[in-house]
Amino acid sequence: MSHSRRHFLQSSYGAGLVALATLMDDRESLANPKIAGKTGRFDNKPKPPHHPPRATAMISMVMQGGPSQIDLFDPKPALHDLDGKDFPGQVKYDDAAGATKEVMKAQWKFQKHGQCGMDFSELVPHMASIADEITMIRSMHTGVNNHGQSINALNNGSILNGRPSLGSWLTYGLGTENQNLPAFVALTDPRGLPVLGVGNFTNGWLPSIYQGTVVRPTEPRILNLDAPMSLRGEAQERYLSFVQNLNQSHLANRPGENELDARIQSFELAARMQSEAKDVLDFSDESQATLEMYGIHNKETKDFGTRCLLARRLVERGVRFVNLYTGNQTWDHHNHLATKLPAACKYVDQPAAALVKDLKQRGLLDSTIVHWGGEMGRLPVIQNRAGGKTDRKTVGRDHNTYGFTMWVAGGGFKAGYTHGETDEFGHNAIKDVVNHYDYHATLLHLFGLDSERLTFPRNGNDQRLILNSKARIVTELLS
Amino acid sequence: MARMIGQPIVMKPKLISQLALATVWLLTGSLAVADQDSKIVFEKQIRPILKQHCFHCHGEEKEVSAGLDLRLRRFLAQGGDSGAAIMPSDPENSLLIEVLRSGQMPEGKDKLPDQEIDLIAKWIQQGAPTARSEPETVAELDAFTEEERNWWSLQPIAAPQVPAANELTDSRNPIDRFIARSLQQSGLTFSPAADARTLIRRLQFDLTGLPPTPDEITAFTEQSKDAPESAYRSLLERLLNSPAYGERWARHWLDIAGYADSNGFDEKDVVREHAWRYRDYVIRSLNNDKPYDQFIREQLAGDEIAASLGMHANSPEEQDRARYAELLTATGFLRMAPDGSVSQNNITTRNQCVADTIKIISTTLYGMTIECAQCHNHRYDPITQADYYSLRAIFDPGFDVPRWRVPKNRLVSLQTKQQAEQAANIEKEAKKIDAERNAQQKQFIAEVLEKELAKRDEAIRDDLRVAYNSDAKQRTKEQTKLLSEHPSINKLSASSLYLYDSTYKTKHAATLKEITARAQAIRDTKPTEEFVHAFTELANDPKAVVTTHVFFRGNPEAPKEKVLPSDLSVLASWRSTELAEFSDAVPTTGRRLAFARSVTDGKHPLLARVIVNRVWKHHFGRGLVSSAGDFGVLGERPSHPELLDWLATEFMESGWSLKTLHRLILTSQTWQQSSKRSTRGDQIDPDNQLLSRQKTRRIEAEALRDALLAVTGKLNRKPFGPPIPVMPTTDGSIVVGNDTTDSAGRQTGKYIPLHGEEYRRSIYVQVRRSRPLDLLTTFDAPSMTDPNCISRPETTVSPQSLLMMNNSGMRAHARHFAQRLQNTGPPDQDSQIRTAFELCYGRKASETEIANSKNFINAQQQYYKDNPAKFENESGPAEKENASAQALALAAFCHALLSTNEFLYID
Repeated sequence: MSHSRRHFLQSSYGAGLVALATLMDDRESLANPKIAGKTGRFDNKPKPPHHPPRATAMISMVMQGGPSQIDLFDPKPALHDLDGKDFPGQVKYDDAAGATKEVMKAQWKFQKHGQCGMDFSELVPHMASIADEITMIRSMHTGVNNHGQSINALNNGSILNGRPSLGSWLTYGLGTENQNLPAFVALTDPRGLPVLGVGNFTNGWLPSIYQGTVVRPTEPRILNLDAPMSLRGEAQERYLSFVQNLNQSHLANRPGENELDARIQSFELAARMQSEAKDVLDFSDESQATLEMYGIHNKETKDFGTRCLLARRLVERGVRFVNLYTGNQTWDHHNHLATKLPAACKYVDQPAAALVKDLKQRGLLDSTIVHWGGEMGRLPVIQNRAGGKTDRKTVGRDHNTYGFTMWVAGGGFKAGYTHGETDEFGHNAIKDVVNHYDYHATLLHLFGLDSERLTFPRNGNDQRLILNSKARIVTELLS
Repeated sequence: MARMIGQPIVMKPKLISQLALATVWLLTGSLAVADQDSKIVFEKQIRPILKQHCFHCHGEEKEVSAGLDLRLRRFLAQGGDSGAAIMPSDPENSLLIEVLRSGQMPEGKDKLPDQEIDLIAKWIQQGAPTARSEPETVAELDAFTEEERNWWSLQPIAAPQVPAANELTDSRNPIDRFIARSLQQSGLTFSPAADARTLIRRLQFDLTGLPPTPDEITAFTEQSKDAPESAYRSLLERLLNSPAYGERWARHWLDIAGYADSNGFDEKDVVREHAWRYRDYVIRSLNNDKPYDQFIREQLAGDEIAASLGMHANSPEEQDRARYAELLTATGFLRMAPDGSVSQNNITTRNQCVADTIKIISTTLYGMTIECAQCHNHRYDPITQADYYSLRAIFDPGFDVPRWRVPKNRLVSLQTKQQAEQAANIEKEAKKIDAERNAQQKQFIAEVLEKELAKRDEAIRDDLRVAYNSDAKQRTKEQTKLLSEHPSINKLSASSLYLYDSTYKTKHAATLKEITARAQAIRDTKPTEEFVHAFTELANDPKAVVTTHVFFRGNPEAPKEKVLPSDLSVLASWRSTELAEFSDAVPTTGRRLAFARSVTDGKHPLLARVIVNRVWKHHFGRGLVSSAGDFGVLGERPSHPELLDWLATEFMESGWSLKTLHRLILTSQTWQQSSKRSTRGDQIDPDNQLLSRQKTRRIEAEALRDALLAVTGKLNRKPFGPPIPVMPTTDGSIVVGNDTTDSAGRQTGKYIPLHGEEYRRSIYVQVRRSRPLDLLTTFDAPSMTDPNCISRPETTVSPQSLLMMNNSGMRAHARHFAQRLQNTGPPDQDSQIRTAFELCYGRKASETEIANSKNFINAQQQYYKDNPAKFENESGPAEKENASAQALALAAFCHALLSTNEFLYID
């Protein structure tokens, strides 16, 4: 417990918000991360934010492929009347050739949940049970209708590859609270990486130490954590200091090679991880009730549940940012929506809800942002009607980045609140639209970062996460 | 676009102005806003904006919205249901401007940025000019704009003038002249040349993936003192002629070819037993400096080339048979994609395998994301969906999806008729022995039966005998009952016969076994039948050849119009793209041969540019086009476009010789520069795109493993052949070793040693998609779960350091290294330390380093005296005895050297 963030927070500052600014004395002063470039050494030590933060950590559950908001979170009665008829307006398809105009209503029943009366379909009963803890944003918009580009928009602020991801920016700006674990962890799915692969957690042109570290999707989650019998304890310490001496003099002859420095630091981190990471991965101190809450006993939810619990344990110990992925195109239901969507929901529903409940009961939700969502939603019309068939077993829905839903919780987001609206057919966000720029501005704000000041010097310019000057902190979302 | 994984996109220098434009582009997603100063014409500045935001509804669909088509200027003037969209010279009264300014259009999307609307208004103000007269017909309308056709990578390869020398260099190598020109323009200079020691290490890793030995380093540095140029030349030639060159550079090719020894797709991941011949083909081809055009033709159409030369498995001349085998093996390139039809043979898995193959071909040859056009026209590049299927039509007759051959049915036997006859004759002989065995067995059974009967009551013996000898199905109830009462008779059979040996002290089992062994010995004299993992076409009747259709949204169950084989249609404006549907010259369709010849005709815009860029990338750590897998709109523009074209031209004129290209690059001042950074260089050109220095680079995963083996003295240089197996250990990691997991997937703990095979170069280790070797994937080698690897990421993460510190394989390397020091050099500690530094880093240890090392070793030795320990093995039985403190201490020192950055990086 001595390593846990909760303990750390409570002992130093009392539970709840963290006044990191007061820590400036005993931390390297890097209020403007730009300075780090001049010192020639980047690190992951905790750095004070620009203003008092609401959130100090984030877990982002990335539902790559694009869950159907129409069937899960955004009920549209108007579609019931139109079901099977022509869509009465313009549809923006990803691919006109593959599309029909035939309206398809939500294929599952909706109900209001929680004291706030939030809408959920019957496919996500566990998420429904945390209605009063989360913020449902129904007016997400990136406007780029391809997976890769929309992933990039939500992850690095532009449609292009190669820029630093959100987790890299946050760790670059804030470092991490636990020097014995990676600052930015990617929990990948055993069924494969999402679209864009390792590009999802790349540091882009930020220094290498800000890249996401993959914790393997199957056991052993981290290889080589055990020191060999013949090189452990004092023997290993001496070995490490000998190695690092050689590395330091090697670096001294190659000034400016940040990657060499990053590797020196990764060695230091690796040494410290040996005990701490094993502790994170060892669930034996979790109660049966906790394991059951995450669905770890159940074959269908075991995998995602294990990773959700792991995410909590990482954040609990001070890891800054965790990305948690479902497999490649898990939610890209161009066809067979009727069977594939329930299966995808089953895989994540219980564990995702458990994560929020668990963080809450441990007093960590206040300072941890939880995000659940994909890079897009789906269209209200049928796609891929196979020739002549009239049933709906095989059909799906095409991409929709013009109005889709995701939810966030904790870290200063307003609980039990539904934000924004799509049009009566669930196609376009029309009210209180939140685009990726606004989303990033809001996140940085909650982390106590000023997006104008979180910069990295490059090519004679100050690079930023947010490229649109009109980006807005969506204060309505905040508690 | 679903699987499109692009390259990091980095901004070029020429900083502020370009950057500002780039930022606008990032904000708007439009490619159109650039160079506003030039005259505004529809095609160049206006159409891209409309294409991005409006064409989807107003042009590309069968029914255009509101009757308004925005694809041509004259359609804008004609207008739609609401009247003319533009009034030339009168933007304020133009409907288009009105709806854009009000945000009414694009419907449901963000309003266009003001600067774009202003640009359109300005264009209308100027009378809405076009660059040229617009196309007449709808067919032309669907084709590409001139701007699209003018995309740089789709233009003929130029032969630019080599720039004159400037004060930065007196080098005669044209590469240096091109580089010097751009350095000078940016106020940069070359870095000084790297010293001899750095050069040999850099060159040797670059060309062979192995470290130089201390003797090689000494020899080279000595020779370099007197005659640096000739010393370097002879080193270069020695390395290019080393078999290790092919083993190193084949790995680069196998990444993009997606080489694997298994089919992938699901957890069964069935092994491809014969794929390794393709790996060996690539290594041999590179070592022989096979001209690249020929190398490509063989891989695309080796079977058809063989047919056109009249070569086959039964060619009378042995060299023809060998050449036939080589050509067939080359087509393994087209059989590299993951293949799910092994476990689920259906339209989806078949089509996926074809699509993955098309991706491999197009990324390898064209460096374009052609796979993005599988479901719809490419969003950014001038590649239509029909183009995608026209390329596919080249390969469809071989895939033959309706008559799909599962992997084992497409192996091609290399057996000759003579060998087959020989084998048949031998089999006949073996069958005789089989018959002998059967007769003997029958006799033994009869004998045992009688012995058993003898033990029964005489009254029932005959009945029992009759019951036993009658067919089980024909037996009466009574007979069955009778037998069941006498199980030792009932159960007597060929398979239980051996059990009676102990009862009667007979040795029947041994006798039978001996006969079986004789039959096997005869069979063993059969000539081995070898198979090639190849790509061939079956049908030679044009009517039976499968036709290719555009698939509606990429869905193989929704075929639309038929397409014919052809190259990308955007090239049709300046070169022939059509390919014959059938050929008289070969018994198959000949489509692949026709395509192979066309793409290697020396004029194709992509093939030479893409390979030259890849070679450059491996020598410098980044390509002249840094997005080596994307020469399209979303990729990067070349940093030195003229140099790229000059190199491509030179490469083709040299007879497509890769070794000549290496020589050209590796003898340049540019390549031989020091990698030391300068403040000025870092400020002006942080990514070193202009090459004012070399790059300090981490060695790749395979080079790391091979260097560990080389330095520790274990490397086994045996080339070629079936792959070295990999296996899971009890903790779930994957190491080299014989897999002794039982059929239920349980680990038996049995250890079958590999007798030195485990120390062979990494390229010979099995590439099992589901079991990538941990050492390799931890250091960014691909696991080939994607069809291929266009560019490896370069990560620096703590699991790599954990591996260096704690991995039992690293312990084994450290121990071997220590043994090498103890067994080969002088026994004193100083010498051992000196040798270790030279082996590891290719340099002498400083006096301080020697002192520090001694302190370290002695402290460790003292520690181990008090804390005895055993060495760890990566696999196999654990050590029984504690190791000596001395050995453990020296191994700790060796482990440390092997863990350092100096070992892992080259300057």
